[in-house]
Amino acid sequence: MARGRAMSNTARSQILARIRHASRRANAADIEQELSALGTAPAAPMPSADLCTAFLANVLANQGTAACAQNRSQAVKAVAAYVYEHYRSQRLVAGHDPRLAAMPWRDAGVLPRFGAAEDGDVVALSFARLGIAETGAIVTFTGRANPAANNLMPERHIVLIDSADLVMDMEAAWRRIGAEVEAAGRPRGINFIAGPSSTADIEAQLVHGAHGPTGWHVILTGAVPDTALSEARSLIGQ
Amino acid sequence: MEQHSQTFIDNASEALGDTAKVQRRDLLGAFMPLVRDAAVEKFGKFEALRQHVKRIRQHSIDNLDHYLARFEEEALHNGNQLHFAADGDELNSIVLDICQQHGARRVAKGKSMVTEETGLNDFLQRANLDVKETDLGEYIIQQAGETPSHIVGPALHKSQAEIRELFLEKHDLGQRDLPEISDLVKEARVILREHFLQAEVGIIGSNALIAENGYSMLVTNEGNGDLCANLPKVLVICTTVDRILPRAEDATAMLRLLVRSATGQPQTCYTSFYSGPRREQDIDGPLETHIVLLDNKRTEIMDGNYREMLECIRCGACLNHCPIYTGVGGHAYGWVYPGPMGSVLTPLLTSLEQSTALPNACTSCGRCAEVCPAAIPLPDLLRDLRHDESRQQLTPVRWRKGLRLHAWLARQPRLYHFITGIGITIMQRLGRKKGGFRRLPLASGWTSQRDLPSPQGKTFMQQYRNGSGPGNE
Repeated sequence: MARGRAMSNTARSQILARIRHASRRANAADIEQELSALGTAPAAPMPSADLCTAFLANVLANQGTAACAQNRSQAVKAVAAYVYEHYRSQRLVAGHDPRLAAMPWRDAGVLPRFGAAEDGDVVALSFARLGIAETGAIVTFTGRANPAANNLMPERHIVLIDSADLVMDMEAAWRRIGAEVEAAGRPRGINFIAGPSSTADIEAQLVHGAHGPTGWHVILTGAVPDTALSEARSLIGQ
Repeated sequence: MEQHSQTFIDNASEALGDTAKVQRRDLLGAFMPLVRDAAVEKFGKFEALRQHVKRIRQHSIDNLDHYLARFEEEALHNGNQLHFAADGDELNSIVLDICQQHGARRVAKGKSMVTEETGLNDFLQRANLDVKETDLGEYIIQQAGETPSHIVGPALHKSQAEIRELFLEKHDLGQRDLPEISDLVKEARVILREHFLQAEVGIIGSNALIAENGYSMLVTNEGNGDLCANLPKVLVICTTVDRILPRAEDATAMLRLLVRSATGQPQTCYTSFYSGPRREQDIDGPLETHIVLLDNKRTEIMDGNYREMLECIRCGACLNHCPIYTGVGGHAYGWVYPGPMGSVLTPLLTSLEQSTALPNACTSCGRCAEVCPAAIPLPDLLRDLRHDESRQQLTPVRWRKGLRLHAWLARQPRLYHFITGIGITIMQRLGRKKGGFRRLPLASGWTSQRDLPSPQGKTFMQQYRNGSGPGNE
């Protein structure tokens, strides 16, 4: 290792010197000013003026499935119904998210195992930090509340998202993430998830469940217009 | 990786002999541009986005000293160990050192063109490590002992039947049919899941490094890279110094271009940002994370005439739109990066001497520059490389003398028009009977494949002066 470290240090000083030579060598304040003068990038157009409808339409376009729940009791019932529909069971795993621990699980007759997903867990449940209408992605942070394995290992991934946590585009998402990070520190991982795991590596044919979930189910809770899901479906021709 | 770029013409002839593969490439060459165009049209302000990201990329490279220093500071603050590698050999040794320090035997690897460039797999395997590629396409070609034919879809040159045969031969799983593509995917999933769970080290690449917070962006559809980044106890990110962008929003602005140009999707299934090792409260994630920053001539490119090439985001759109690439496929290019971007990068990352054939593998049709999301003037760069070849006397003497003669003649308009006028008249008279030529001196490259039709009248300039040009009718 001593050799490796020494080699790396020599390489570092040589690389930095060459980069410095080829850079403009401007001062930090000028660089920051120039960057902010470049403005912001255009985002993708919204499929609907309503945030919930736009988000749901993109979730469906990403090959996800979706449901809406007016309150927490309906939300746990929607979770239970999805698990029962696919596995005729009530087993699922969820991270130590206080929002999930406080759900009225008794209403639905299921109780998740709280912890990290292991090989053999078939369904995991996450409570998303954010949902992005522009891309139909949900955002989770790694950590006790949502170990990364829960997003990736099981066959199916259910994601709860509160309509109050929907944002318009990725720039808005970073502003929200920035505020959360400021308060609680940088999480190890920030995951934008937009659909079930897929591959088209064999003859360009799309197959779900390449390594991660074959099914990705998003349940939008809170204040959601009654017609949001049906409108989202008709927007993408479902 | 061993380079065979100089035999491009032979490689291409061989590739064109395999009819089934030619048909598959024709299909992809028609299909991939369609999905990309649909996604670009749906976005609407694609050109504005392209120009915005171009300005950001230029700004980042112009001020790379500032942003690299910032990234280094933030990445170290996040708990990473940072390594710099001057060339491929150094990167390989650094990664092997890390694996050996942890007594690792199994390595799970995500898709990374940088490690293809350095030949990392072979290097680790020679040290008795069990290295498995986990992106399905990369896994398939690793099992077949081949190299990627495309930077995004590395195994698209193989048929379902070939992959089925390969799996039946390589996977010791007894009697089974594997009739569908989904069965093949499922089998690879089972095999690789076991490897993910056992691997001590995960290796991934990076689509962008974010200076303001030290995060590294990883873009995949399969989620394999994320399993590499989250399950093993040690994570190594192998990337290059030019991947740095100032802010997180710049990385996702670039993402909008990347996915639409690569696969026609509006968003990949998994876009992840990793900052470092697991935090105190975490119950999963790697205990140790390393970022290896490779130079391998990037700083030379930065200081030269091909700087714009560093803005390439590796989407593969130029490959999908190139008539040469879709004709002969990626393997003909004889190294890691094929197509128009590869024909520029290969001479810069290896040497022009070893790859003189590549800048000539171009019809100057301009489709690559039209679709390049980074707005890199690829045909111009290829022309400049051909110019360099001529200046460095790498082109055959006959070509250079011929071109010099032509250049001289083209600068004497009266003489040029006089000589071409005589030539056309002679050819018209000689070819009148048969209507074409089966053989012509100095034009055997043309006539070896097809007849040259004989001229039907005067030269364009002669017709133009007589007022009978097409515009005057």
